[in-house]
Amino acid sequence: MNYALEMKNIYKSFSGVKVLQDVTLQIKPGEVHALMGENGAGKSTLMKILMGIYKVDAGMICMSGQEVAMHGPKDAMTKGIAMIHQELNTILDMEVAENVFMGRELLQNKTLRLVDKNKMRAETQRYFDELEIDINPKANMRTLSVAQMQLVEIVKAISVQSRIIVMDEPTSAITEKEAEILFKQIERLKKQDVAIIYISHKMNEIFKISDTISVLRDGHFIGTKASTQLSEDELIKMMVGREITEIYPKEETARGAIILEVKNLSRKKHVQDASFSLHEGEVLGIAGLIGAGRSELVETIFGMYPKTGGEILINGKPITLKSPADAIRHKIALITEDRKLTGLNLVGTVKENISLASLQALAHGGILDKKRELEIADKYIKELGIKTPSADVLVGNLSGGNQQKVVLAKWLLAQPDIIIFDEPTRGIDVGAKRDIYILINELAKAGKAIIVISSEMAEIIGICDRTLVMCEGQITGELYRSQFSQELIMAYASRKEGKPA
Amino acid sequence: MMKKALAMLVVMTMGFSALTACGSNKAADNSTTDTTESKAANDNAEKEEDVKESDSASGSDETIALFMTHMSNEFTITLSGAVEAEVEARGYKYSVYDAGQDVATQVDQIEQAITLGVKGIIIEPVSVDGVVPAVRAAKEEGVAVVIVNQKISDPSAADCYVGADAATTGEILMKKAAEDIGGKGNVAFLLGPMGSDGQVGRSEGFENVLKDYPDINVVFQDTAEWQTEPALTITENWLNSGKEIDAIVSQNDGMAVGAAKAVADAKLDDRVKVYGIDATSEGLQAVLDGKLAATVSQGTEDQGKLSADACADLLEGIEVKAETIVDNVTYTKDNAQEALDAIKK
Amino acid sequence: MKNKNENKKKILNYREFGIFIAFFTLVIVLMIISPNAFAKPRNLINILKQASVNGILSCGMMFVIISGGIDLSAGSTIALSGVVAALCAQIQGLPVIVAVLAALAVGAAVGAVNGFGVAYAGLPPFIITLATMTGIRGLALIVSGGSPVYGLAKSFENLTNQFILGIPILAIYFIVIVLISGFVLTKTVFGRRVYAIGGNEATARVTGINVKRMKLTVYTLCGLTAGVAGLLVASRTVQGSPTAGDGYEMDAIAAVVIGGISMSGGSGKWYGTIIGALLLAVISNGLDILGVSSNYQKIIKGVIIAVAVYLDLRGKARQE
Repeated sequence: MNYALEMKNIYKSFSGVKVLQDVTLQIKPGEVHALMGENGAGKSTLMKILMGIYKVDAGMICMSGQEVAMHGPKDAMTKGIAMIHQELNTILDMEVAENVFMGRELLQNKTLRLVDKNKMRAETQRYFDELEIDINPKANMRTLSVAQMQLVEIVKAISVQSRIIVMDEPTSAITEKEAEILFKQIERLKKQDVAIIYISHKMNEIFKISDTISVLRDGHFIGTKASTQLSEDELIKMMVGREITEIYPKEETARGAIILEVKNLSRKKHVQDASFSLHEGEVLGIAGLIGAGRSELVETIFGMYPKTGGEILINGKPITLKSPADAIRHKIALITEDRKLTGLNLVGTVKENISLASLQALAHGGILDKKRELEIADKYIKELGIKTPSADVLVGNLSGGNQQKVVLAKWLLAQPDIIIFDEPTRGIDVGAKRDIYILINELAKAGKAIIVISSEMAEIIGICDRTLVMCEGQITGELYRSQFSQELIMAYASRKEGKPA
Repeated sequence: MMKKALAMLVVMTMGFSALTACGSNKAADNSTTDTTESKAANDNAEKEEDVKESDSASGSDETIALFMTHMSNEFTITLSGAVEAEVEARGYKYSVYDAGQDVATQVDQIEQAITLGVKGIIIEPVSVDGVVPAVRAAKEEGVAVVIVNQKISDPSAADCYVGADAATTGEILMKKAAEDIGGKGNVAFLLGPMGSDGQVGRSEGFENVLKDYPDINVVFQDTAEWQTEPALTITENWLNSGKEIDAIVSQNDGMAVGAAKAVADAKLDDRVKVYGIDATSEGLQAVLDGKLAATVSQGTEDQGKLSADACADLLEGIEVKAETIVDNVTYTKDNAQEALDAIKK
Repeated sequence: MKNKNENKKKILNYREFGIFIAFFTLVIVLMIISPNAFAKPRNLINILKQASVNGILSCGMMFVIISGGIDLSAGSTIALSGVVAALCAQIQGLPVIVAVLAALAVGAAVGAVNGFGVAYAGLPPFIITLATMTGIRGLALIVSGGSPVYGLAKSFENLTNQFILGIPILAIYFIVIVLISGFVLTKTVFGRRVYAIGGNEATARVTGINVKRMKLTVYTLCGLTAGVAGLLVASRTVQGSPTAGDGYEMDAIAAVVIGGISMSGGSGKWYGTIIGALLLAVISNGLDILGVSSNYQKIIKGVIIAVAVYLDLRGKARQE
């Protein structure tokens, strides 16, 4: 049969490092084809070759049986290949319609090159109607949510008659409800024989929507199977190369005394009257939908913003937190949601990032002990399994999972008693996720008090002893491990206290 | 809220300082500056700039108004001071306006003064073209107009012009230097900003004189933008170039003083003579101290006095000459002290 | 791993080497073209001297730029601090230390105003320092009465005309200040925090760094170096000129940028600034000796800055 796309026997090296070896990918028209693999397996390199950003060392690309050469993203677009990136490629200060037609604007007047905005808006509206998308083509992109921006990107891809659309981690920044809308669109595309190459780390999603799954590992092609014929364990084994007995390696730990108490904490409308306590050795989850106020709650506890009511007690004593420096002094650590924005200094080296919260401790009279800094960095690189050639590499060059480990190392070095993780495994592959779960276990065993915010219910259920659920700034429920269930969590997450959904 | 108030306060403080700074940014020490530069942002702020009214002891209630390009260096202060003295001596009221080097501001000020009923005006033009329409409008109202220090592009629009001639000034200085070095040798020129009126006119004067001195070579010339430290650095480098230099002729005293320091540092004071223009108090002091061989004034005081006289004459119906060029005076060690004392008074 | 060597190369990226190579090439070429003048030891010492004022200013500017900001007011501060110092030096019998302290105090004060504006009022550095640039220049004109303050004590002039072991004292000031700056940037907690703020301000805040206080300090330091520069210019020209320093902040920024420090902050090595300042001084000096007008010098400097910025952007793109 004619494959919509074939990438045959692709080889690619960078400066002697073999990134892809004899990789073959065959995509049928109208199928959702998942491309799986750990970070560093070669998925993004393969896609960049498809988009014409890199040239192959050997191998070929064929579309509908014909060999083609890709000269760049614009060329790939004309040949029918579109990509929706993890970091969206939108121009925030322009209209929706302008973004849809970016690079191929409809002209009023060919000689003067005047853009015909009305025509572009009308065309965009046409697509929106067809796909039942409720967005105003005149709206400024900045006003759109991430999920809506993705839909605009999809429309863009459709409007150029793409036959292959590559989606890179499309649901990492949207809610489950919005993801459902995305999946409906994907169904529509399938009916039009458009093929989707779907890259994601979310297992349940992959099994839900993909028809075929291909796996890469360390630059090699491992295999392709229909998703119905593959079990999760088998898939993980193909990706990781070894058995993973448990995704969530939970160990029971006895919990100790109460170390943190939050009483009637408020911050304007972001956090309303929140009360809970946290024990040593405990892993406390905070579940909820996006916008529920979970990050706002922990940011207030961490001193990033001043509270407008209530109190915070550590070891029974009330404390005032006016800045993160105060929180750090009280041995609290916050591993933020977005490591690139607030977790890392991307132009700094690994060791510079690791030492950042502990500079005073590594110095004598204001002068840094650089030898000790390096020793400590090397220690954490080894202990946490951070994959990096050395501690002097720029942290921006590491993969997502390893970057997250650097952030962890930074906070561990500060020797906190209370550690708050906000979405610790977002955008991280299975292998690295497990490393982080194991680490959380060890920290709990060592008597640390842990809070984990996660939007993946499976994760909350998998690793927490107890979980709070938040909705619109309030804590609406509390569940012990024995009571965990997805339905119950969802119920609490969708209603405010006393008000049914 | 607090942050916003603080921000406003800082901005207002800066803005207020900016008001007082207007027009002083590229002020030459004593020479006419490049008139095409204007700060549009300062426009509105400058409209309420200094308007001084003096009380006149006797005589008419008529006012003679003086419009200066700016009032932030010794030249302009001396000029306006001389105008003020003569206006009052002739029995008129005096008022002065500071345009902050902005032509639009000067035009507004002139129009405002005419509306107030001023019958005699003296203009030191910010722009040779830009002020012509205002001059014409003034003439239509029957106002007497005297242009001082720099000609406008249409001299016939005004009643008369009083000033020094840049080329002549340059010639006088060049001649002095040429004679001092015995009519032969190497000279270097320190120039004002390239293309500015002061630079172009004075360079023309230098060239005119050099035609008569075939044995004098110009080995270096470059702009030091009227500034002292750049002149010091450039001269330092010239002195190290291996080429002999007998005289350094500078288009203003500010640069001359810098060149003189470089010469002194290189211990070449006996060999290299330095010359300047403007006869500022600093320049005159340098002449007295033996650092400058001579400086040529642009007759600043005379310009002020004669323009005030011309304006008063016009108001009294006396005929005036269309153009009065004041004399330049060359100051050397012999006569510098008098001039310095006069300024310091 | 095989990547170790590659990454080591990335650290000493070709841009930093490029500056060294460009510098030495230029020096050698000038020496060949003008062996009797440029290559003379006396001239080479002059270059060091001429690089000193800009070099000292560049040290302060370096801190500000690494922290992610910029200071356009440095030139005006040179004028004001020079005028104030000169006014002190005019008073016969007043110990010269008073003039020195006055200049430093003025510089630090202007820097602090900038720092408050940036750190506490949240104003963009470009805007606030643009305002200070204008306002302080005006203040210098007012304080000086519009013309240069001259007739200064010999002790004041002596601040800059001495030699130590044949090296002009200006150069010694430069070397000392540069070494201190380098030490602070690379070896102290404070220096590391400056890099952190420039690299990612939000991350720095989350790790407990008092970003506001750091910024205030950094701008005050830059003002302080401008005060030093103003003092030295006034001593060198033996006058406090209200029009001095015009455009000097641009040369300082150029030296920093040419030296490999990124305008977006967070990276760059301190010794690059030395090379940048020396490079600019060599260009002026060499071209002056060859009789090339300073207008051409401006063009050449402009091209070099553009190339330096281009290489900076390329280096960034490479990392992604």
